[in-house]
Amino acid sequence: MNVPNVTRYIHAYKSAPWRIEIQWAGSVSLAVIASLMVGAMYLSVSSSTAVAGREIQELNAAMIANQQINTDLQTELATLTSSSTMEERALELGFRPVAPDEVEYLMVPGYFEPKPDILASAELPQMSAQTVPHEYSQSLLNWLDERISVPTRGIQ
Amino acid sequence: MRQQYARRSQALMYVIVLIALAIVVQMFRIQNSSEAAIFRQRASNYAYELKTYYPDRGEIYDRNGHLLAGNTIVYEVGVDLNAVQDVNAIATAVSAELGMDYAAVANAIQDPGEGISYVVLADYVDAENALNLQALKKALNDQAGEGVAGGLVGLEFKSHPHRSYPEKSLASNVLGFVSREGLGYFGVEEKYDALLAGSPVQVLVPTDPNKAFEIPRVPDGTTLVLTVNRDLQAATEKILDESLANYGAQNGTIVIMNPSNGEILAMAVSRRMDLNQFWNYGSIFDTASQFNPAISTPYEPGSVIKILTMAAALDSGSVVPGTTYLDTGAILVGGATIQNWDENPWGLQDMTGCLQHSLNVCMAMLSTNMGATNFYSYMDNFGLGHLTGVDMAGEAAGRLKLPGDADWYPVDLGTNAFGQGVTATPIQIMAAASSIANKGRTVMPHVLSAMVRDGRQYNVPAQFAGTPISESTATTLTGMLAVSLESEGSLALVPGYRIAGKTGTAQIPVNGFYDASQTNASFIGWGPVDAPEFMIYVWLERPSTSIWGSETAAPVFAEVAQKTVLLLNIPPDSIRQQIVAK
Repeated sequence: MNVPNVTRYIHAYKSAPWRIEIQWAGSVSLAVIASLMVGAMYLSVSSSTAVAGREIQELNAAMIANQQINTDLQTELATLTSSSTMEERALELGFRPVAPDEVEYLMVPGYFEPKPDILASAELPQMSAQTVPHEYSQSLLNWLDERISVPTRGIQ
Repeated sequence: MRQQYARRSQALMYVIVLIALAIVVQMFRIQNSSEAAIFRQRASNYAYELKTYYPDRGEIYDRNGHLLAGNTIVYEVGVDLNAVQDVNAIATAVSAELGMDYAAVANAIQDPGEGISYVVLADYVDAENALNLQALKKALNDQAGEGVAGGLVGLEFKSHPHRSYPEKSLASNVLGFVSREGLGYFGVEEKYDALLAGSPVQVLVPTDPNKAFEIPRVPDGTTLVLTVNRDLQAATEKILDESLANYGAQNGTIVIMNPSNGEILAMAVSRRMDLNQFWNYGSIFDTASQFNPAISTPYEPGSVIKILTMAAALDSGSVVPGTTYLDTGAILVGGATIQNWDENPWGLQDMTGCLQHSLNVCMAMLSTNMGATNFYSYMDNFGLGHLTGVDMAGEAAGRLKLPGDADWYPVDLGTNAFGQGVTATPIQIMAAASSIANKGRTVMPHVLSAMVRDGRQYNVPAQFAGTPISESTATTLTGMLAVSLESEGSLALVPGYRIAGKTGTAQIPVNGFYDASQTNASFIGWGPVDAPEFMIYVWLERPSTSIWGSETAAPVFAEVAQKTVLLLNIPPDSIRQQIVAK
């Protein structure tokens, strides 16, 4: 291929106005598509966050309700095993209080009386700012900022 | 041709850009219009919701993990006036289930007042009643068919916790109770009200799901673990009730404490109330001090004070156990004659005999020999006239008159020595006597063993209030008290266990004069003597079968002590000493 021909083709390509226009149209379309994609992603993340937030609200309400039910059941159990109830049941079953002279003490080498277990109400995990992942609270821009700034901070 | 296409493309591009620009401009215009500001303002009104949280009040357990005070679910029954359709149906159902007046319910719904959209019909409704109403509402809804509202539409139920006492009246004097407003009254409930907390809290909760992390955390109250042993408490209350009947006493108090660390193991009083029905308080108690006389009712304890007088005399060096004196049956102090309880002379006595026969003359001699300054200094160090700091609400300090007080007379130096003219609560005398049982150190009585918060348990260490006497004095006196009980064959003795103790019979002042027929019978004792694990105080008010503490309070002490060693697994001295030897 000779050089004058190549130069001519390049000149012809550059000077063709429709090519320039297509370049412009393409660029604008690309920008629009990119914006649409970012927008769609933002909408997607926002809706996911909203759904997750709603779930958190519902779970929180359920957690409080369950906690109340547990406490209620615990109290009911304590009522069923109260001192007077247990004594009545023991007497019905034919047991009677032991007399001091009926007790025989035995020495068991190595035995230590176990310490009582205190049955405090189970601590349910409480929601707080520290336990919620960032993904549920940060915006897309925050996320991008984090992604961009993390390597920079890493270098520092 | 290509140029034509290019122009068309260009035109299309301009059109698209114009449309896009128009959209953007319109967006900005709408966002910044006055209407948008109004909408934003309206939206902000719904951004937060005022909610009432009912955190659980901290539970109260005994030392072995038995629940003494917990929480149960009750319901607030109300009507959403915007949703209600059939007033008569709601009024009928609610009045039938909750026993309310039909007209009052109907009137509350129909005439709620201006601007009210929700009416509370009843609160603290039992779960059973509330669930019955909920089931009825659901049944009527199902019956009405799809898309049609049932008759009880608008009837709303809100659950919230409410204080509950599974053991009912057991240890009611120790626990106290919680009103519907969430305030603790008496006992532990009042003393630790701030810790137990659990009061309803109104907070703003974001409705925006994106702000879910802002949902406030309302912490539950602190759980308390008491030193009280539930089974021992129940047994002590039972023995007390039987004793009142057996000895015809009007009231009674029994306290069991570990003298080495001040842990109160049981505290029984004769007047108790079912804490789940705290509204009966007024019909059970005439005064607040009757709720827990063990800490709130000072009285003249009589001869149990003699152990403190003897401790002071021994510690100050005024006497030794073998010191003798000739008891003539009377002594003159401050111009008044003090006599023995039987008004007879007891001849030559040593200090053990003085305690064994509970001789008033001996005690008056000791206090006068010590001198007022020395004697009252010891009594003050023992804590008489001061609060012990026991961690229950409503403690009273009692009264120890001192020289210089307007109502102190020289004769008081003699009478105070055997427990007349001085008032103290059972817990004060126990705290004072703990110094004798505990090698000279006075313990601070307490009922709180541990606190549990956020899954962590914080134990409460033993605290000591001072050292009024030396260890040798304490050991010597304990031995003398044990011998005096054994020598007289006291009804307080417990087979297999060496016990130290002292009876008390105090005449009750009536209209300014002591009535010989009405007494307060008391006994304080502890054991096993070589390593005390329990100290028991018995107080019977006005026993009618016998006025003497030695015939009423002493056998009650023995019964309680026998139950205590069984429930606390304290083996008899011989076996325990074998274990120690090995």
